[in-house]
Amino acid sequence: MTGVERKALTESLDQLNENMATLAELAKVAIRKAVESLEEGGKAEADAVFTLDQEIFALKQEITRRCVDLIALHAPVARDLRTITASLEMTTDLDRIGRYSRDIAEIAREIAPSASREVRRMDKLAKMGELTVRMIDLALDAFRHRDAEPVKNMIAEDDAVDDLHDDLFRELVARMADRSLSPHIGAQLILINRYFERLADHAVNIGDHVAYMVTGQRLTRVKRPKTGLPLGPQY
Amino acid sequence: MTTKLSVEHLSAFYGPKRALDDVSLEFNDREVTAIIGPSGCGKSTLIRCLNRIHETQPGARAEGRVLLDGADIYEQDAVEVRRRIGMVFQKPNPFPTLSVYDNVAAGLRLNGVRDRNAIHVKVVESLRKAALWDEVKDGLMAPGVRLSGGQQQRLCIARALAVDPEILLMDEPASALDPIATAKIEDLVFDLKRTYPVIIVTHNMQQAARVAERTAFMYLGKLIEVGVTRELFERPKEKLTEGYITGRFG
Repeated sequence: MTGVERKALTESLDQLNENMATLAELAKVAIRKAVESLEEGGKAEADAVFTLDQEIFALKQEITRRCVDLIALHAPVARDLRTITASLEMTTDLDRIGRYSRDIAEIAREIAPSASREVRRMDKLAKMGELTVRMIDLALDAFRHRDAEPVKNMIAEDDAVDDLHDDLFRELVARMADRSLSPHIGAQLILINRYFERLADHAVNIGDHVAYMVTGQRLTRVKRPKTGLPLGPQY
Repeated sequence: MTTKLSVEHLSAFYGPKRALDDVSLEFNDREVTAIIGPSGCGKSTLIRCLNRIHETQPGARAEGRVLLDGADIYEQDAVEVRRRIGMVFQKPNPFPTLSVYDNVAAGLRLNGVRDRNAIHVKVVESLRKAALWDEVKDGLMAPGVRLSGGQQQRLCIARALAVDPEILLMDEPASALDPIATAKIEDLVFDLKRTYPVIIVTHNMQQAARVAERTAFMYLGKLIEVGVTRELFERPKEKLTEGYITGRFG
């Protein structure tokens, strides 16, 4: 590779890094707005999430095009190649985060305003959202600084979200059983609970891609013991 | 995968200048190994030591061992070693006064083969193996130098194959060729490795990635890293390798 070719590749990779950081920021805002739409029950918050989801998708498409161009024009190898493949994988996870945020906002709009009180009372959903945003922050920090240290403990952070999910699931089932929560609202909240748990899974995937990009090694995943949810592991 | 050729603590010199510094590595049978590195890193010197061509230059010498099937080639007859370990050079070098046919037959005749039928069978077989037969079968008596650059290179490969080598060394065999002629050489390397181990020196890293199962990276006369090509290009272990293959130096 000549000096000019290296310079062109470096400039394109810098642009890719900026686009990836923007995409991650959009995904974080989408999660926060999804939580707001649940807590406030307002149409404006839900609409904001829909717009963010569209922007995330459009930016994902642009990043994919840029990555394909980089591969076709520069035949990258080693860390350059890992940066591009990791970015492609991360865009898929960030796009899914946008989609789940949208799904949460759609349900929030449907069950508002009665469910908003319930959501504010049960703060576990907001906590799950914040933990997930923090995980994306860590992954983004690792991505920007090419340092895998921040994402090393991400699996443990995901376990905290899983615990919140399991606790809330049991609480919702118990409240539907004792009729203090309507089955309609309860079922929707169970879905939302599940979406938040999936958001965190995607954040872990992003951390994993960044770890691979920086070190060439994937995060070590330890299978979590079954929690004994009433509907079993396939729920 | 069995080891066909082992290099043990090999150093090479041009007069007082050390060009190769304590290199040890192994080459597997029926596998392509690429040797990459910046100009002057010693990769050509290394393969020239593998069939004892290095020592033919005035003041050049080598230390260490090169084991072909476990026996040190430096304790064997050098001419026989060069027959068993064939070499193709960067610039095609057909014998300028010989026809296509005689270029391929030359090695056989030099090795004492006199049976004309046997020579003919071998010439045709070698030209076929070198994927050149269809292009030259109607002009076997034309001068070899009238062929295109890519054809001349395949003619040189046919010449090397005619004497039944056990290993084929290639020193940047496609660096002077256009992309189509290069692709033909790479296709040929892909076919040849079913029969011979091929050791190819190349400046073209995409070529190494395309044709080689294993790749060795050299720098300043030393072997820095050797490994499975896919791993070396995706996650090299050494910072020097990373720097070179990503174009940050070299």
